Amino acid sequence: MPREIALLDALVPTLLIAFMISVLLSWALDWLFSHLGLYQHIWYRSLFRLAVFICFFSVLGLMIY
Amino acid sequence: MKDFKKLILRIAFTLTIVVIALLLGRMLWVRYMDSPWTRDGRVRADIVNISSDVSGLVTQVLVKDNQFVHKGDLLFKIDEERYHHTLAQMQAQLDQRRVMLEMKRAQSKRRDALDNEVISQELREDSDLFSASAKAEYDQAAAERDHAKLNVVRTAVLAPVDGWVSNLVVRPGDYAQAGAAKLAIIDQKSFWVYGYFEEHKLRLIHIGDPAEIRLLGSDQRLYGHVESIARGITDRDNPTDVRLLANVNPSFNWVRLAQRVPVRIKLDAIPKELMLVAGMTCSVIVKQAKQ
Repeated sequence: MPREIALLDALVPTLLIAFMISVLLSWALDWLFSHLGLYQHIWYRSLFRLAVFICFFSVLGLMIY
Repeated sequence: MKDFKKLILRIAFTLTIVVIALLLGRMLWVRYMDSPWTRDGRVRADIVNISSDVSGLVTQVLVKDNQFVHKGDLLFKIDEERYHHTLAQMQAQLDQRRVMLEMKRAQSKRRDALDNEVISQELREDSDLFSASAKAEYDQAAAERDHAKLNVVRTAVLAPVDGWVSNLVVRPGDYAQAGAAKLAIIDQKSFWVYGYFEEHKLRLIHIGDPAEIRLLGSDQRLYGHVESIARGITDRDNPTDVRLLANVNPSFNWVRLAQRVPVRIKLDAIPKELMLVAGMTCSVIVKQAKQ
């Protein structure tokens, strides 16, 4: 995977794209969890959301680098 | 009791996710911050500045800008008329000196045969020395003639290496000063990469380590290995003044930027279809050599 991506002729690190994708993924998972009512099995919602986001971001980042 | 079990399960599940997140985050951090790679790399090549060896008017320019030339190809020509005249002059001087030498030799030979009754011993000895001096003058004229001949040859400026002409600003009619660069040739076989690595990453880089090079905005990968590491960079906080006194910058920042040290990467192979341009930006990733 290239380490830079051209956004409107400005080359930005692919990590920025990974960040945006992980935001979308966590939103999707958040929506899924609340719809299926899975949050009742979760202790601290915010902590869980943050951890999930970091997981997504790290995995995507590790794929790039 | 059942609620308590449920609570434990909830806490355990959440904490597991948190621990996984921490581990992955740390892995990414280490990979990003502590592995020897840099986005600050440059493709470089050896550039030969071409200038004429003799001064004169440029009569012909035989290359175009950015043209590929082979070693020995004619690049441009200096007006050679003046140098032909000088050559003729030097040749004439040489001829004259040769005649003089022959004359002195004949004199000396003739005088050697005469005894002290006819000429003085001093005159006889002197004539030998005159002949030796004429020989030296002849040799000097010969060297000057060869020099004039070389100047005529050097009015043709040839390519010293295979490569691409660049920054061609010379036009027929220009006056070329000896030693003033008129164009540059980029040596075809000399492409290499400079990776500017943060100083704290240098301990992870060893000479001979394999390196991967990715050109900016391209998926193309090049491979090479670490050839050498620069052993000195400028101390930007201490420029000396005209009296050579230190001029230490008084600013000291809380956040300090790591300085960059150039690491020279030798390219193993350059794909034929790839157009490398000296000055291109690239990322350099150095991998640990297998022990």
